[in-house]
Amino acid sequence: METDSPSGGRDRSFFYPHQMFFECMTALAVLAVLVALSFVWQAPLEEMADPGDVTYVPRPEWYFLFYFQLLKYFEGPLTVVGTCVLPALVFVLLLLLPFLDKGETVDVRKRPVAAAVCLAVAFSVAGLTAVSILEDERHGYRMVLPPITGEQIAEGQDLFRRFCQSCHGMDGKGGFFAPDLTQIGSRTNRAYIERVILQPQIVSQTTIMSLVPLSDTERHAVSAYLSRKK
Amino acid sequence: MSRVYKFLDERLNLTPLIRSIADHEVPEHADPSKHVSAFMYCFGGIAFFILLLQALTGVFLMLYYVPSPEDAYASVNYIENETAFGGFIRGIHRVGTTAAVVMVSLHMLRVVLTGSYRKPRELNWIAGIFLLLLVAGSCFTGYLLPWDQKAYWATTVGVNMVASIPLAGGFLADALRGGSEVGALTLVRFFVIHVMFLPAFLVIFLAAHFFMVRRQGISRPL
Ligand code: HEC
Ligand code: HEM
Repeated sequence: METDSPSGGRDRSFFYPHQMFFECMTALAVLAVLVALSFVWQAPLEEMADPGDVTYVPRPEWYFLFYFQLLKYFEGPLTVVGTCVLPALVFVLLLLLPFLDKGETVDVRKRPVAAAVCLAVAFSVAGLTAVSILEDERHGYRMVLPPITGEQIAEGQDLFRRFCQSCHGMDGKGGFFAPDLTQIGSRTNRAYIERVILQPQIVSQTTIMSLVPLSDTERHAVSAYLSRKK
Repeated sequence: MSRVYKFLDERLNLTPLIRSIADHEVPEHADPSKHVSAFMYCFGGIAFFILLLQALTGVFLMLYYVPSPEDAYASVNYIENETAFGGFIRGIHRVGTTAAVVMVSLHMLRVVLTGSYRKPRELNWIAGIFLLLLVAGSCFTGYLLPWDQKAYWATTVGVNMVASIPLAGGFLADALRGGSEVGALTLVRFFVIHVMFLPAFLVIFLAAHFFMVRRQGISRPL
C-alpha cells in the first residue's frame, strides 16, 4: 500500500508509544473541556411532559435547528420535499461523492468545485441555524421573561384596558369579538401569551386579532398581568 | 509489569497481536509533533473517545433511569438532584452529544478537505456516512428519554415528519410510536433503540471503519 511506505530515515514515528502519547493527552484535554462545559451548560430538565398542553412549542437541539428552519420554507403540499426528497438527495449525493469527485490532486485550492460545494453546504447550515435562532428569539421561543412584579401587573392591566379590551372580555367587561380572557392564565402559559401578542396568527390563520405594536417592556407587562388571571 | 506481561505472553502468545496493533507507522503529515496541521487528523480519534465517554456515562444513567411515562421524569429528576454525582454524569452525557456532533462534523470536513474519500477509501467514506446517521439517531432518540415538555413535543414533531413521507410514512411513524400517539410504548421503543440498537450498529460500523483505516493507512496529501 502506497501510504504505508516508510518515509525513511531516523525520523519515523510509530503508533506506540509516540502517537499513543498524543492521543492520551488529547483525550485528557477533551475530558477536561467536557467537564468544564457541563458545569457551564447545565443539562436542562423542564416540566414533566403534558400531552394535553398543545400550546407548547418545542425546539430541537441546536444541531437540528438548521433542518427545522429549512422545513419552514416547504409548507403545505411541499412538505414532502423538505422531509423526504431533499434528505434523500443529500444522502445519495454523499454516498456518491467519492465517485463524483475523482482525480489526482487532493489540494483544495485545485478542486474548486468540491471546495465550493463544501463551503456552500457549511454556510447554508450555519446560516439556517443563525436565522432559526434569531427567529426563535423574535417569536419568543427562547424568551427570557423578566420576573413578574406588582408594578408590572398594574401596568399590564392598564395596557390591556387600552389596547385589548375593545375585543376581549375581562371580568365581565369588554368586547365580545374575541375570547374572554378572565381565566387565560389557567389555560395557557406566559410565553404563549407573548407569542400571541407578537404574532396573532398562531391562534388561527384567519384571526381578526390585530397586531398591537407594544414595546418589549409593555408586552412583558401585559403577559405578566394575563398569566396571573387564573 | 513485565513479569505479568511475560506470564501472559508465554501462554497466549500476545506479541504478534500487539505488534500488529501498535507498530504501524504514523505518516509525518499526520503526526502532531511535526506539523500543527496534523491536528485535524485527531478529530476522528476525539469523536471516538467521546463516544466511549457517552457509553460509560450512559451505563451509569441506566442504573436509575426508568423508561415509563410515570417514572421517567421522576427518575431523571432523581439522578439530577438526589444521587451522588448524578447531575455531573448527566451533564457530561448531555454535553457529550453536542461534542460528538461537533467532532464528527469536523472529522467529516477534514476528510472532504483532504479529499480522503477518493480511491481506495470510498467504502470507508460510506461507512462514515452511516456512522453520522447513527450518531444523529442517537441524539434524536435520547432527546425523548427525560420525558419533559421539550422531549415530548420535539419527538411528536419529529415523528410527524416521518409520517409525512409518502406511502411508507404512516406505517413507519406508527412503528416508531407503537401506536398513533407518542406514549408509553414510544418511550420504551426509543429507550431500546437508544441503548441497544444504535450502539450495536455503532460498534459494527466503527469496527469496519477502523479496520479499513488500518488496512488502507491514512491518506497522504499530494
Ligand atoms: C381586533 C380585536 C382584538 C384585539 C384588539 C386583540 N385581540 Fe386578542 N384575540 C382576538 C381574537 C378574535 C382572538 C381569537 C383568535 C381566533 O380564533 O381568531 C384572540 C385571541 C387572543 C388570545 C388567545 C386566547 C386563547 O384562548 O388562546 C390571546 C392570549 C389574546 N388574544 C391576547 C390579546 C392581547 C394581550 C391583546 C392586546 C395587546 C389583544 N389580544 C388584542 C381579537 C383581538
Ligand atoms: C462515529 C463517528 C466517527 C468516528 C469515531 C470516526 C473515526 C475515525 C478515525 C479515528 C479515523 C482515522 C483518521 C482520523 O482520525 O482523521 C477515521 C478516518 C476516516 N473517516 Fe471516520 N469516524 C467517524 C465518522 C466518519 C464520517 C461521518 C465520515 C464521512 C462521511 C468518515 C470518513 C472517514 C474516512 C474517509 C477516513 C479515512 C481518512 C484518511 O485516510 O485520511 N468518518 N475515522
